[in-house]
Amino acid sequence: MALPLYYNWRNLQRRKLSTTLTFIVVTVVVVVLCVLLSFTAGIRASLAATGTNLNLIVLKPGATAESTSVLVPDEIGRLVQTPGIALGSDGSPLMSRELCVQTTVPRRLSARDKEPAPANVAIRGVDPIAFDLHREVRIIDGRSFQSGTMEIVVGKAAHDRYEHTNIGDEIVLGRMENRIYKVVGVFDAGGATFESELWAPRTSISDSYLRRFDSSVVMRLQSVAATKAAVEFINGPTVQLEAKPEPQYYEDLSKKTQDIVVLSTILVSIMAMGAIFAVANTMFATVDGRRREIAMLRTIGFGKWAILVSFVVESLLICVSACSVGLVLSLLAGGVKQDFLSDTTWTVLAFEMKITPGILVAAFMLSVIVGVFGAITPALRASRMRIIDALRKA
Amino acid sequence: MPESEIELRDVRKVYYKDRIDIPVLEGLNLSVPAGEFAVLMGPSGSGKSTLLHLIGGLDSPTSGSIRVADSNLEQMNERELTAWRSRNVGFIFQMYHLVPVLTAAQNVELPLLLFRMPSSERRKRVATALGVVGLGDRMDHRPNQLSGGQEQRVAIARAIVTDPRMILADEPTGDLDAKTSEEILNLLNTLNTEFGKTILMVTHDPRAASHGQRLLHLDKGVLERDERTPARAPAAVS
Repeated sequence: MALPLYYNWRNLQRRKLSTTLTFIVVTVVVVVLCVLLSFTAGIRASLAATGTNLNLIVLKPGATAESTSVLVPDEIGRLVQTPGIALGSDGSPLMSRELCVQTTVPRRLSARDKEPAPANVAIRGVDPIAFDLHREVRIIDGRSFQSGTMEIVVGKAAHDRYEHTNIGDEIVLGRMENRIYKVVGVFDAGGATFESELWAPRTSISDSYLRRFDSSVVMRLQSVAATKAAVEFINGPTVQLEAKPEPQYYEDLSKKTQDIVVLSTILVSIMAMGAIFAVANTMFATVDGRRREIAMLRTIGFGKWAILVSFVVESLLICVSACSVGLVLSLLAGGVKQDFLSDTTWTVLAFEMKITPGILVAAFMLSVIVGVFGAITPALRASRMRIIDALRKA
Repeated sequence: MPESEIELRDVRKVYYKDRIDIPVLEGLNLSVPAGEFAVLMGPSGSGKSTLLHLIGGLDSPTSGSIRVADSNLEQMNERELTAWRSRNVGFIFQMYHLVPVLTAAQNVELPLLLFRMPSSERRKRVATALGVVGLGDRMDHRPNQLSGGQEQRVAIARAIVTDPRMILADEPTGDLDAKTSEEILNLLNTLNTEFGKTILMVTHDPRAASHGQRLLHLDKGVLERDERTPARAPAAVS
């Protein structure tokens, strides 16, 4: 038979200082875990929301991202022969030639900034057909740009973060920083990475940045079943380029977040070890301070198991309640918009930190592990205490 | 002759410390009838507490047999002894050993948590036990809100709340003043005479010893004297 929960709860209040310090340690570990996991979950969610399996992205072989890829017109010309390529309403292949360049734009001023910090931002030069292929992209404010003009539309996340991205604003771009583009619209892309970009007519960007060649081609297939044949054709001797389904391309980009996950795991594991020692220290002090109480409970008929469970429960009460507070603090941080500088594209990916149910479960499990592992040795000592020794030394 | 509640046959207890045998009890024979209030006296180190622990199932003998409340303790394992203690023995300690964070009622309730019974029944038994020791109006007081005598009364209520067959008391008045000691000893007499509890009490205090019906003098692990105090008659056992 177990000891009542109120016995453990009130005992925690006997050692307010050590209980509070242990509580704080576990709370910090939970918050750090949640922040790190929500950081990677946010990046992954943003990258995972980008692209469809019906689209193939074609790059130069060996290029790790659009920013390092250059396609010459001859190569692009051969792509129209790709088997399974979808045709538009006018009968022409659904292919979007895209030119990606990077530029720096000032961030919007926050309360703590004295002057706007620059950020590396991706500009995508596209033709109007791009909107037929990237169907998740929708203008939510203003209108789209007109071909051949110096108009630009901005992604929702970019609009939130960067200066001169309101509709009607003028933004200075170009290799010589001498081309003035007018912002005419804001677009949403369902959380995809495109939301961190600025989109303008391809020919205008090509001219502004003196870039004669495109970075990539996105093509629509008639069906997902056509993917294999299309990829083999493009990767083969006829075209000699490299094609990937869009989701795979963005997943490959997100692989860098694996490193963050590994580092996070190492960091959180070290902190959790510290928390386990903190809990163990508190529980050892608790056991030593209650020797005669334990002896009395064993004398009147509580078994070893009841004593062991009681001390583990006491530890879990600290850890689980600390976890609850840590989760509340983390949920308050959830939804905070963050930037991540991709080391593949060298552009800023804007994303929202996401506290997912998986993260909540992970935090809870961590607190339980800390509670159980921290308590088990002191609890074993308490349960194995020789009754008559404890009574004599009391 | 009433049936023996406690029967010890040739009990030896030897402790091993630093590779040395330390004999504490040397072939002890003892019989305590049900309903008797026996007092164990003797100098420090004579084996009084060890004997009390053996009879209470808190320790096992090196050799010999111990039969208490119809059970052969030397044949029981630790788990069986734990369950046996909860049913048959009420313990009273010199330092009361109350849980400081629990109220008087919650302290008294602790042994009842080992039994399956409705909470209403538990509350009733707790109120009865605290009523017997005269603390019915202190149920919600914590130990630090009670005097030493009141704390020992709560400990006695905790010892009797399961209605055990016997009470083992280890210097129950050792930490109390003379007047409070007398009250506690009178309470033990009441438990013996009115409720028929077999009581075995360890004490150094001759005045406390005079409350028992039988004095057992231990010295160096041997029962030196076994004498009756004529003033008090054993309780009638139902």
